[in-house]
Amino acid sequence: MKLKHVMVDLRGQARSFFRVKSNLFWVFAFPLLLIIIFGAIFSNLGSEAVTLNVQDLDQGPGSQQLLAALNETGMVKIKFISPSADLDQHIKDNSLAHVMVIPANFSSDLAGNTTAMVELRLDETVSTSGTVFNAVNGVVNAMNLYMAGGEQHIAIEMGSIVQKRFTFLDFFVPGIIGLTIMTTCVFNVQGTISRFRANGIFRKLATTPMTPFEWLLSRILWHLFISFLTLAVIMGFGVLIFGMNMSVNLPVVLMIVAGSAMFSALGMMVARFVKNEETASMAANAITFPMMFLSGTFFQLEMMPSYLQQIAAVLPLTYMSQGLRDAMVYDNQAGAYFNLAVVAVIGVIFVIVAVLITKWEEE
Amino acid sequence: MDTVIEVRNLVKRYGDLVAVNGIDLDVNAGEVYSILGPNGAGKTTSVEIMECLRKKTSGEVRILGHDIEKGQKEIRRRIGVLPQSFNAFDYLTVKENIEYFGGLFDKNIATDELIAAVQLEDKRDAWFINLSGGLKQRVGVAIAMVNDPDLIFLDEPTTGLDPKARREVWEVIRKLKSQNKTVILTTHYMEEAEVLSDHVAIMNDGKFIAMGTPKQIIDRYGSGSTCVVKGANPAAAEAVRSAGMFHESLNGDLLVRLENKGSLAKLIGLLSGSEVTYDEVLIKGSTLEDVFLKLTGKKLAEAEQ
Repeated sequence: MKLKHVMVDLRGQARSFFRVKSNLFWVFAFPLLLIIIFGAIFSNLGSEAVTLNVQDLDQGPGSQQLLAALNETGMVKIKFISPSADLDQHIKDNSLAHVMVIPANFSSDLAGNTTAMVELRLDETVSTSGTVFNAVNGVVNAMNLYMAGGEQHIAIEMGSIVQKRFTFLDFFVPGIIGLTIMTTCVFNVQGTISRFRANGIFRKLATTPMTPFEWLLSRILWHLFISFLTLAVIMGFGVLIFGMNMSVNLPVVLMIVAGSAMFSALGMMVARFVKNEETASMAANAITFPMMFLSGTFFQLEMMPSYLQQIAAVLPLTYMSQGLRDAMVYDNQAGAYFNLAVVAVIGVIFVIVAVLITKWEEE
Repeated sequence: MDTVIEVRNLVKRYGDLVAVNGIDLDVNAGEVYSILGPNGAGKTTSVEIMECLRKKTSGEVRILGHDIEKGQKEIRRRIGVLPQSFNAFDYLTVKENIEYFGGLFDKNIATDELIAAVQLEDKRDAWFINLSGGLKQRVGVAIAMVNDPDLIFLDEPTTGLDPKARREVWEVIRKLKSQNKTVILTTHYMEEAEVLSDHVAIMNDGKFIAMGTPKQIIDRYGSGSTCVVKGANPAAAEAVRSAGMFHESLNGDLLVRLENKGSLAKLIGLLSGSEVTYDEVLIKGSTLEDVFLKLTGKKLAEAEQ
């Protein structure tokens, strides 16, 4: 093997890569866009109060006490409906999901030791309805206890099983890094091989002293470099813009190396078995698309039905994403090394197969 | 004169299909040797075996004195190849593309020298993707020359090019010949082979059906010269027919074969008859296209279909 040949090819790739704008978009801009979009959607999830529309027909001290207590929970934001409004029409016109009606006799019933009723109308198809019910139910129970002069015999002390407080983005970004490395490696390698075959570049290279192994090595090294660049850009963005908690350590570095080699080799295998350029691209899509959604990139594997979890268990991206998450976010070294071992074994097998089947010469 | 290519009874089969069917070939140093034939004739398969790109089924092939199977490393060092439908790296410049391939060889010619050789000085820093078809092929020829090869294979270098671009590539090939390089040119353009080649081998259905210099082939297999009587009236055709001269009518013209030295004088005598009229008279020699038609019974374009 001649290092000079590898360097010649690396230099050629570097020059070509940065001149193609679509490469820059898919490798750098696209993952950042995903992070921005998902970051904007999920960064405040759980902290935003849910709007509770209230028609206070009572306007008395009892209703004011109830509403003040609800406000204090921080779980709901009260928005008043005029007492004179036709409630059904108002709900319809404004597509309201959470409405509470305090009847006119609420304060007097409360004072007269008669059970005072509030009417809660919820749209159960809206996920925040549960939050509203819990808030109202909790306040009503507390008021009942207070008015009965009762004592609290059981209380809840909140704690966390995680060492650090994680956001959705902390979960999401390592998955995006794995996803970007997968798509970059598979599509670039498959596309390059298909294009080089169609353009006669392989036939030309086969008449030079460069060997297929030197060429494959150069391609894997190049995608390794691009993977680390992707890692740096995404992490830098996540930490600086969204204040994420992530660290780069040995298992992260090793996972990037193993993952890049594994997915580059996968791209080579796709290009070898599917020789037509367009069909090869479709095959690459058919392989990467399910992995994108089933490997826990966008949501936790536990949220999926068990049969999909079983499918996820055989997808290489699952182990890469989980390993990166364990190493970068959860500080779970054992988990990180286990996932790294799985990716490394698959990677070695893929690389060996790719080297054996990639040929320049025609039959 | 050194023989740079020796091929004996070369056969290449793909299952039941015989792509190359027992060809023999000898190419001398410094000549342009064209392998001519329609698509699917076996030209590229034969040449790719000589370039160490394909494995032969049987036969013997020696390139620059080396056996094709035992001496691949040495052969690759000393040959230059422009593959069929070759496109270099789209987003590298002309200079960078030549440097890339030059960097893979221990011995290489200076990039600027090659750029000058194919007259691309003003496109030196242009991306390959932005070049016209003819310019791309000139880059391909420059890349084929990076290692200063003794033997250069150009596989259909002008296919798909317009006539002007084709002639630009011809100039580059003539320049290679003037530098005493041996060039193997595969083409399906008869005119190209006729104009550029010292020797031609016409291939059809995996076999060479004629070999020699263009003149030798035309003399041996051609039908002699033909006199084209443009705008001939029926009386002219009748006069020729009555005289027993071999002729045919084509689009209002009368084509009369000149079978010997006296044929032309005899035809002029017939055309001077009082009832005979015509617009003009041209004399056309046989071409390789005529030879192909005669040997295969098909025009080249028909053979490609």
